Amino acid sequence: MAAAAGFLAKPWVRWVAVLLVVVLLVVAPLIFPIFLNQTLARIGVFAVAVLGLNVVMGYTGQVSLGQIFFVGVGAYVTAYGVNADWNIALVFILAALIPGVIGLLISLAAARLGGLAIAMVTIALPIIGVPLAKRLSEFTGGSQGSSARFSSAPDWTGLADDQWQLYIVIAITAVVFLLTRNLVRGKYGRAFAIVKGNEAVASSMGISPYRYKVLAFTIASLIGGISGFLYMVVVQYTSPETMSFGHSITLLASMVIGGAGSILGSLLGGAYYVLAPQLTNAIDSSLTAVLQGIILLAILFVLPGGLVSLPRLWRRRRKSDGHGGAPAGGAGSRSAAAATVAPDVSPSAASVTAAPVAATPTPPEPNPPTQSEEKRQDT
Amino acid sequence: MSTLRKKARITSVVAGIGIVAVLAAGCARGTAGDDTGDATEGPAEASPGITDTSITLGITSPLTGPTAGPGNCTVDGALAYFGVKNAEGGIEFGDGKTRTVEIKAYDDTYDPQKALANFQQMVSDGVFAAGIGLGTPTNRAWREAAIDEEVPQVLVMTGDPIFSDREESPWQLGLVPIYQQEGGAFGEMLASSTEDHKVAILSQNDDYGDGYVEGFKEAIAGADNIEVVKELTYEATDTSVDAQLTELAASGADVFFNAMSITPLVISSLKKTEELGWTPNWFLPSNTSSPGGILQQPDVHADVFPGIYTVAFSQSAASPTFAESEEGAAFLEAIAEYTNQEGVPAFPHCVWSWIAGATLEQAFAEMTEPTRENFMEALLSIQDYSAPFMLEGSVIDTTADGKPAVSDVLVQKYNGKGYAPAEQFG
Repeated sequence: MAAAAGFLAKPWVRWVAVLLVVVLLVVAPLIFPIFLNQTLARIGVFAVAVLGLNVVMGYTGQVSLGQIFFVGVGAYVTAYGVNADWNIALVFILAALIPGVIGLLISLAAARLGGLAIAMVTIALPIIGVPLAKRLSEFTGGSQGSSARFSSAPDWTGLADDQWQLYIVIAITAVVFLLTRNLVRGKYGRAFAIVKGNEAVASSMGISPYRYKVLAFTIASLIGGISGFLYMVVVQYTSPETMSFGHSITLLASMVIGGAGSILGSLLGGAYYVLAPQLTNAIDSSLTAVLQGIILLAILFVLPGGLVSLPRLWRRRRKSDGHGGAPAGGAGSRSAAAATVAPDVSPSAASVTAAPVAATPTPPEPNPPTQSEEKRQDT
Repeated sequence: MSTLRKKARITSVVAGIGIVAVLAAGCARGTAGDDTGDATEGPAEASPGITDTSITLGITSPLTGPTAGPGNCTVDGALAYFGVKNAEGGIEFGDGKTRTVEIKAYDDTYDPQKALANFQQMVSDGVFAAGIGLGTPTNRAWREAAIDEEVPQVLVMTGDPIFSDREESPWQLGLVPIYQQEGGAFGEMLASSTEDHKVAILSQNDDYGDGYVEGFKEAIAGADNIEVVKELTYEATDTSVDAQLTELAASGADVFFNAMSITPLVISSLKKTEELGWTPNWFLPSNTSSPGGILQQPDVHADVFPGIYTVAFSQSAASPTFAESEEGAAFLEAIAEYTNQEGVPAFPHCVWSWIAGATLEQAFAEMTEPTRENFMEALLSIQDYSAPFMLEGSVIDTTADGKPAVSDVLVQKYNGKGYAPAEQFG
């Protein structure tokens, strides 16, 4: 196993892996059946939404129950902009910026509150959002919603609509994941982790918990807005139901199931958000809620760290069997796996981040001690 | 140096494989597209989801969550209807072939995004036509996709007029009356009254309330004997309309047109108007006029008002005469055999879905080619069809642009126990 890990740790191997994923992402939409493409596109949409939630909850430890509100705002901004014939690049920027600014304003007030109070403030967002969307019918189309069809494949591409939409989603999702990965693995990520672990310690180190909470919340809202833009690319219709509170809870569950505080986990969370209803629908369409509850419980019992902890669980099993693989190798292969999800451009960044991960698990990793510490602090 | 060269070599190999794969894939999907292109040229080429012995229909509706009650009914009525027909051997189509009807149900939990996903799943599952499902946003979410794919989205249960607009929705048709029709039916009856009437209007401030008021005002437009003395709105999120009622009571109106979709608000309005000593004639929308659920609730005294009117187009499965009729007994038996409903369905949508099934059978009987185009033609040419459980005077007519399949609604008056058709006002 050590040999295999060493092989995987070689930079050129990682590069080939990254390249392979890129090639796969470029080629796959062309070969896959239509429905698979459509499903993958939806997974991308909600993976971005879960990623935003992860920034504020998984990495910074602040409970946010309002993520779907920002997705909804992003979708409405997109629908309005497209119907008003604005330039699509401008629409995209506004769809990210407007939710970001709303998130900033709300968090400026909310981040002063600690613990559960911030959760209560964020609960209010989707609860206000639905009636607000119904009332502001000039902008939102009222309870009938608003449709915007701008993501049909242009003729010059020769692509089908599902392929074109999937390419847009892949491109934007990849960039957002890459930027977020760099954010949480760098200076800001370390600051987020300390704020999550212990605010007093953060203050004593010169890290303002308030400022970093606001920052995390704003970034989460911004990413939520981008998810809303992608929602319109894929669904092409939004209504007040889009930001219904229940979806916020499902996003939260998806984040925990994918793996809190993990980039790969966000992707798995998005997959859960989309595939769980589809799977349960295929089994028995009148029992979807019950079946999804069973899936949720089963995953959380077996994998408390989320789906992303599956390889780690498997490794631990092997270790306790007496094979005793090198821990460094194991962690190295994990970071390689993460790198393939978010293809990195610079080889140095990949190897630099790989090193500390290999030595000790960095705080952004969901490890039980940090969580229990946090709990103790809350109570 | 050597690792660099190795890297470059591997990169080029991977890139090469990629390019070949792209080309191959492009060709593969391209030819698939051409095949379907050829298929549309042949006039009698069958659409997906139909064979010589069977046809598959898809329904996406909220089967779990807060709207699961009516949502399940939208599936169950059709399931029971075609369950009986399939047991008899199937339905004879216009082309002489007898086919069984298979229903595929999908749960959208009233989430537009899931409704679209369900539609995409239906296309992938090879469904011939879709529809009958409940909900405005959920049906709107895949309306345009259905047009793009040229898949019929028919007999949907929403009062949104867009689904019956032929120009905007060439592959769609609504089943239940649109809001305007309900308001219009009451307005017409009022306009034909021989006496003068003052009307107070309270409406929900959204497309629902606006639709009722629009239909009502259109119907009374030319009538000299009707005067709208006061018009107020409330928000769907309001928990009390006492202030509006007090203001309306002061207007001295003898007719109260209340376009309200929220059951608890209707109950509290009935109590409040009685308390205020204002006893007008009421008009209530079809979905908030239930005798058991509203008018016979504790502390509601419907008898203090001279008349409480609503509109309807179908019989209620809950009424005692329903189970006694032969048709009604057969319906309840089929519901018990083919669905998971327990006892008499609590929501009218079960009966409506059964009506949708019967309407589809009419269309199937006219279908001479196994194509979606031919199906839409057949469906949009049904006239004067008295579907089961429809009230006398209300028929299925799919030929009028801008109107759903159920084109007429009848004004009903509350008689202390249930509703009976009202010929004239007063």
